[in-house]
Amino acid sequence: MITKRDTRIPRRPLLWLAAALVFVLPPMFDGLAPWVPTLLLVAITTKFWMEPRGYRLRFLPLKIALVVGALVAIFISYGAIKGIEPGVSLIIVLMSLKIFEAHTAREFHFMVMLGWVLCLCGFFLAQDLAIAVCIMIAFTLLTTALIQFYRGLAGGRIWQPLRAALTLLAQAVPLIVLFFLLFPRVTTAFRLLLTPNAVSASGFSDRLSPGSVEAMANSTAVAFRAEFPDDDVPRSIPLYWRGLVLTQGDGMEWRFREMLRSSPQFHSGGTIRQLITIEPHGEHWMFALDRPVTEPPGASLRPGNYLRSWQAIVKPRRYEVKSSLELARQDLQPLERKQLLEVPASISPRIRELAQSWSQADPDPHAIIRRALDFFQTQRFRYSLSPGEYRKNDLDEFLFRRRIGFCEHYAASFATLMRLAGIPARVVIGYLGGEFNEMGHFYLVRQSDTHAWCEVWLPDIGWRRVDPTNVVAPERVNSGFESFLERNAAAGEITPRFSRTFARQPFFAKIRLTWQTLNYVWDSRVLGFDAEAQQALTHEIGLPDVRPVSLLFLSAIIAAGFVVILATWMQFRARVQPDPVQGLYTKFCAKAARMGAPREPTEGPANFASRVSRVLPQESKRIATISNCYIGLRYARDSDASSLHALAREVQLFGSWKRKNRKSYAGR
Amino acid sequence: MKAQIDAFTAQICEVIVGKVEAVKLAVACLLARGHLLIEDIPGVGKTTLSQALARSVGAAFQRIQFTSDLLPADILGNSIFDREQQRFVFHQGPLFSQVVLIDEVNRATAKTQSALLEAMEEHHVSADGVTYELPEPFFVVATQNPQHQVGTFPLPESQLDRFLMRIELGVPDRASERAMLLGVDRREMLKELKPVFKRETLLEIQTAVRKVHTSAALLDYLQDLLDASRQRHSTGISPRGGLALRHAAQAWALMNGREMVLPEDIQAVGVPVMGHRLGHDIEQPGQSGRTLAEALVRTVPVP
Repeated sequence: MITKRDTRIPRRPLLWLAAALVFVLPPMFDGLAPWVPTLLLVAITTKFWMEPRGYRLRFLPLKIALVVGALVAIFISYGAIKGIEPGVSLIIVLMSLKIFEAHTAREFHFMVMLGWVLCLCGFFLAQDLAIAVCIMIAFTLLTTALIQFYRGLAGGRIWQPLRAALTLLAQAVPLIVLFFLLFPRVTTAFRLLLTPNAVSASGFSDRLSPGSVEAMANSTAVAFRAEFPDDDVPRSIPLYWRGLVLTQGDGMEWRFREMLRSSPQFHSGGTIRQLITIEPHGEHWMFALDRPVTEPPGASLRPGNYLRSWQAIVKPRRYEVKSSLELARQDLQPLERKQLLEVPASISPRIRELAQSWSQADPDPHAIIRRALDFFQTQRFRYSLSPGEYRKNDLDEFLFRRRIGFCEHYAASFATLMRLAGIPARVVIGYLGGEFNEMGHFYLVRQSDTHAWCEVWLPDIGWRRVDPTNVVAPERVNSGFESFLERNAAAGEITPRFSRTFARQPFFAKIRLTWQTLNYVWDSRVLGFDAEAQQALTHEIGLPDVRPVSLLFLSAIIAAGFVVILATWMQFRARVQPDPVQGLYTKFCAKAARMGAPREPTEGPANFASRVSRVLPQESKRIATISNCYIGLRYARDSDASSLHALAREVQLFGSWKRKNRKSYAGR
Repeated sequence: MKAQIDAFTAQICEVIVGKVEAVKLAVACLLARGHLLIEDIPGVGKTTLSQALARSVGAAFQRIQFTSDLLPADILGNSIFDREQQRFVFHQGPLFSQVVLIDEVNRATAKTQSALLEAMEEHHVSADGVTYELPEPFFVVATQNPQHQVGTFPLPESQLDRFLMRIELGVPDRASERAMLLGVDRREMLKELKPVFKRETLLEIQTAVRKVHTSAALLDYLQDLLDASRQRHSTGISPRGGLALRHAAQAWALMNGREMVLPEDIQAVGVPVMGHRLGHDIEQPGQSGRTLAEALVRTVPVP
């Protein structure tokens, strides 16, 4: 045991604590300035060198100087001392300094508590499944460290405290589940402010400029996941996920502009239902299969049939939306038509001529479109992810000289050409395809699946999707971006990424699938379990309109009930004798007690037998047999199995005279 | 074997009237190879009981009266120079006997007491660098007056622990006292007592006692008692005390003609075995060890 005299922290608890802190670090390395978690690592390592030698930080002015230095360093790193990152950094720095200083039992306690706080802080920085697993491991190890600390120096095998910790946590699982389900979700008072850094990593902006898609093409971050609950995935056609409609064309650059005129089309029949779990991107757009026709809660369907969330999406969100693959024809208002035909003045005469040549040859819009696509197909346009830089007025350069680009260039130039030829056109950005996860039955759409395509308005059928990329690089559209990259890699165009090729091995592919599925479940079911989902659950179990306070009371009551039940069960289990001899004897005692001779807990079997015989002289012979058998079985050196049978029989028969008597009385 | 023990007990009971329980405990103590401490006021038959025990065993008997000026050499023996042999010869003291009655053990000084108790534990005496074995069986019966009497040196805990049991005789009840008053002089009776069994028989019985079976269930109960004593009192029963309890219970079981120990046996010997071992609880000064031991036996459930 740790006594007051022993002011060194024993090695084993320190080892457990160190292991726990290592598992706390991953989210810290992700979200904080790198020197902060590094300092903690250094502190832990140094501690193992310091502790056996009895070294520690003792000099108070030095401690104060270090704290001040840390504060200054944090301020320099983040430019602020308030906020999540600086706050967590501060805790980690203080923890590191505590490690240098700690040497008493109280301080060890303090370090473990601080470790738990760091677990919580880890969730401030990131919430994905990998981080959650790390933090759960850290939590278990911290508990283990505390248990080991109390087992003391002489404590047996190294795994025993870990087992104890796991047992403790396993016992807590029902409570964890209960509080997860019922603890009120506070949505208004406490909101995490995501730093811009965390948001801008993903998603696209409200403009399509040359190179904007390219920036995302190499990002494997998850954009969203989509489930088709009715299992009606349109397998034969490529999946276009509609994001945002851009109507203001500026040559190679297209921008978003609110179209005030025509209302979005709502549609009821022939729709495909999707459940989409979107990753936070800090903006308002939401995605759905082209084209959404219903409004998910908290979002509206804008003119142009795209979804826009009322609030910025700063945490994972799950919504249901219906899409229709076919839409009825919609008329264009004159003003709207004018807007959709606007082209920048800076368009060169050569391009204008090209477009006009198409419309003059045959004014039928279908024919114009066909001719435009032919143009892209026959003029040796190439699809490449690294086409070199284009500026926003480089339409000429693209169409007539370099002729190399990818979806954004094709969509932008095609839409501009269509407008020049007199066909209302707009650019839609979103995602194309996605990876189908067989195990979890969902589509995983990554940032690298970002795509841009065109929509043109035809007088006879209304808005229609045209994807010029399809003409230039059909494999990009039909087989997905990943495989497209791969093929190019095989041709030597792009250097293959080791991790990507590696992940294609069947075994790893399976692991990857499983991991994706788990991630999806984590995101949609655990992180996505918000106040709304909770309300749905309480409705389902028959508790409509529960206020958060009563929910709090309810969970407290259920938790208390659970603890009482568990305690009773443990008590009961301790009392139940697994030994058959003892069980029979207990039965005998119970029978005797009903007949007016209860056994005192301290009464030995022989004394009890003689006392019961005095109370029930009719049964004295049987009592003697029972008692002798029991004594023989329990206390004698050898006992035979027959006496156990005899005991069982006699205990069964014991008390039967009374029942017989009662019957004979009744017979009279 | 039970018959012999019964006859032995019966003979002593003839001398000590109305004290069957105390006599049986004393016999159990003898059979368990333990030493006996009798604590009571003068004149209730302490000396008579020990003399009766000694004579009935047919063993060599010595009586030592402890006084405050008694020295260790007076009981252990002296080396005296022998002129004829021209060397020192060890003359054995009164302790070299099979049954030794120490009268008023708490009147001697601590030095003498510890010399005695060492011999009791080790069963041998060391003098001038030579070790002398004590005879077998070796049974010490010590009597002491209650602590509050004047001129006593109370035995320290460590030495009380060496006694297997401490019993009290108490004033006999009215009928027994009447019988005693009318009966023959006790001293005459003692002289006429014949040994019930030989020394070999006693050793045989003592060996048999150690072989009485103590099952796991019984040891559970015994350890529950020990644990309870340690939890409730500042100094609980020592492991040696636990062993003493087992041996005494074995002897008690054999006296009742059983081949195994029952919880009842433990309870029967519990108070005399544990009482003097619990006598010094600082936290409960008002309680005598006897009351504490009774409370243990009364409250620890039989598993």
